[in-house]
Amino acid sequence: MHRLAQRRIILPFLLPAAVLLALFFLYPLVRTVGISLSDWTRTGNSRFVGGANYTALLTDPEYRTALKNTFAFTFIGGCLLFPPAVAIAWALNQPIRGEKFFRFVIFAPVVLSAAVVALMWKFIYHPTLGLISPAMAEVGLGGMAREWLGDPLTALPAVAFTTVWQGIGIWVVLLSAGFERLPRDVLEAGRVDGAGEWRLFWSVMMPLLYDLLRILLVLWIVQSMQAFAFVYIMTGGGPFGSTEVVGTLMYRIAIDQTEFGYAAAMGVVLVAILLAVTAILNKVLKRDDLEY
Amino acid sequence: MRRAALVAAFTLTLGVGCSSGGGTGAADGPDAASWRDEVKPGQLEVGVLSAKGTPGLKFLENLGGRLEQERPGTDVTLTFANTEARPGIEQRWRAGTPPDVDYGMFDGTVPNLREWADDEALVDLTPYLQQPDPVSGKPWLDRYSPTVRKFMEHPESKKIYAVPSELSLHVLFYNAKLFKDLGIKPPTTWDELLAASSALSAKQVDPIALTGLFEPYMGMWSDHLWLRTVGYQKARGVLTEGKGHITEDPGFLKGLQMLQELRDKNAFLKGFKGTDFTAAQAQFFQGKAGMILMGSWLVSEMKDVIPKGFELGVLAFPKVTGGAGDQGAVMAALQNVSIAAKSPDIPLALDWINRLTSVETQTKRATEIGEVSAVVGVPSPPGVPGIDAVLSQAEALEPRDYGLSQSKAGKPVYAEIARLLFGEQDAEQTLQRLDAALRRVHKN
Repeated sequence: MHRLAQRRIILPFLLPAAVLLALFFLYPLVRTVGISLSDWTRTGNSRFVGGANYTALLTDPEYRTALKNTFAFTFIGGCLLFPPAVAIAWALNQPIRGEKFFRFVIFAPVVLSAAVVALMWKFIYHPTLGLISPAMAEVGLGGMAREWLGDPLTALPAVAFTTVWQGIGIWVVLLSAGFERLPRDVLEAGRVDGAGEWRLFWSVMMPLLYDLLRILLVLWIVQSMQAFAFVYIMTGGGPFGSTEVVGTLMYRIAIDQTEFGYAAAMGVVLVAILLAVTAILNKVLKRDDLEY
Repeated sequence: MRRAALVAAFTLTLGVGCSSGGGTGAADGPDAASWRDEVKPGQLEVGVLSAKGTPGLKFLENLGGRLEQERPGTDVTLTFANTEARPGIEQRWRAGTPPDVDYGMFDGTVPNLREWADDEALVDLTPYLQQPDPVSGKPWLDRYSPTVRKFMEHPESKKIYAVPSELSLHVLFYNAKLFKDLGIKPPTTWDELLAASSALSAKQVDPIALTGLFEPYMGMWSDHLWLRTVGYQKARGVLTEGKGHITEDPGFLKGLQMLQELRDKNAFLKGFKGTDFTAAQAQFFQGKAGMILMGSWLVSEMKDVIPKGFELGVLAFPKVTGGAGDQGAVMAALQNVSIAAKSPDIPLALDWINRLTSVETQTKRATEIGEVSAVVGVPSPPGVPGIDAVLSQAEALEPRDYGLSQSKAGKPVYAEIARLLFGEQDAEQTLQRLDAALRRVHKN
């Protein structure tokens, strides 16, 4: 009787979320799968083609390159994001003067739009009018200066850096919350036992933050594999496809070439890859609860 | 049971996804002979290309204001329909609620841009254009230069689905004062272009402004060279339509070798690989480069950064002596406006496009914001000296980029041209890679 009453009350609470989920996630997903099985014209007419779009993907070198670049973007971005984010979060957790100011400085780029940040960094990277290369030339490092966005070796890392620069504030906030929630008595016990801050950081804090880091890693992978805005604005996928990620390729195929069915197939495959990667990571990184 | 319901819902949604969409389809327009009498005050939504704050938008706002004044009760709404707004606007067309008048819905020279007309989503303007224009007494159609007819007309049905509001010519701009001061002859042939490049380099001026961050603008160089060394029809056939192979006509390799020669002379702006097109254009107007190959929109686009006293020169792309292609052709793009067949007020929409493309409006537009017009009798914009000569001397206006931008071949072709310009490969390697890419795309 009690269980039944509970069930009855759960339904109205779940309903709004379920409706929103169905409307803005499930329906578009299923519709995308439907479009991916068709040849969709610019005018919206479609013809069922079965798995032809998926078969074509298998032999499409542009899609393979875009997938490779997407993984590279995720990896490079992850390397650029996590070490500084953890370090900054740790530092902000220390009793330092001007903590609020530093928090503001780190969080400020988050409120800027991607377009503004991308255009700003496009200027900063400019080989002759920008800040980096001319500054390097001024201090005698001109030989190391590059055409950052125009060099296929540096373009993707340059875009990844910009993406991280804009978004790092969010990750710092999440990690700071993790640091703040660390049990003080455990840390104190470590200090009493003679452990230095470095030892505490590696041997106590990091293991305690493991679950948070695992979740943040999965979140980063999900977010970065959908990269679009920064790449689109800063390089448009160039030079010669070296920064083309699945997001920008899908956009080009759908909007410029009006092959909506093919673009939808690319999206569906990306979703499948994302789900697989996330599931694998969750399985591999899962560990037993740690108790101190 | 629950599973069966889920499967049914999934199948139903899939079915919606696979079903024929569209929502397009024709509506009957007013009588061609008496449409002007049927124009009544009403609501009119017009898709526009000019962004907020630009002189182009201000001009159109004034035009809309005049229409509202002359037809009290009329309400003209200008909706931004360019760049990032374009996908949303096209979605409205698919959903059957398009703006009454819109840009970029038809171009007779680009197969992808004929689809809306094929689906009867656009008003066939032919009968209206055949009626006499009350101002000139001649058919409305005669207002437009015959050289742009192929952009307006469907090649199969011969029906006209769009009229041109602006004409963009691809031309070689040069810094006339710099050329005069340095005693350099503006280049009309390829050899003269090479000589001008050497002369500019000798004076520490980068010869040609170029962006390395937007491949289609780098591709403008190969597009034009192939126009001269191969010819429009042949090049378009190979590049966009998959007719034949790029290795079969020696003109393609010749064009690439000429481009390589330019690259090897360091003719392009220092740091062009990492320079975007706005910066490249700005550097040209700052005198850091002597020439730039660009559409005639350059002047109106960069109006705010052109220094006072800057003397601009305009030339057609240099001829290639002995080239097997079209030496007198000029590449062009037309900004066409079309009327939605589903527009609830087609007479008012016809009134708008009539006003927009009138000699009076186009003359004002050329004078005030420097736009080139495809309307006969409209003078060249004063800020673009020489464009009238380019237009009048053009033996033919050919659609820019062979339709590559809307084709699957566009990205692979321009990526290889970028590799050539970036020094990653020579002309011969570029040709081989282009051949492989085109065979893959066209499956031939």
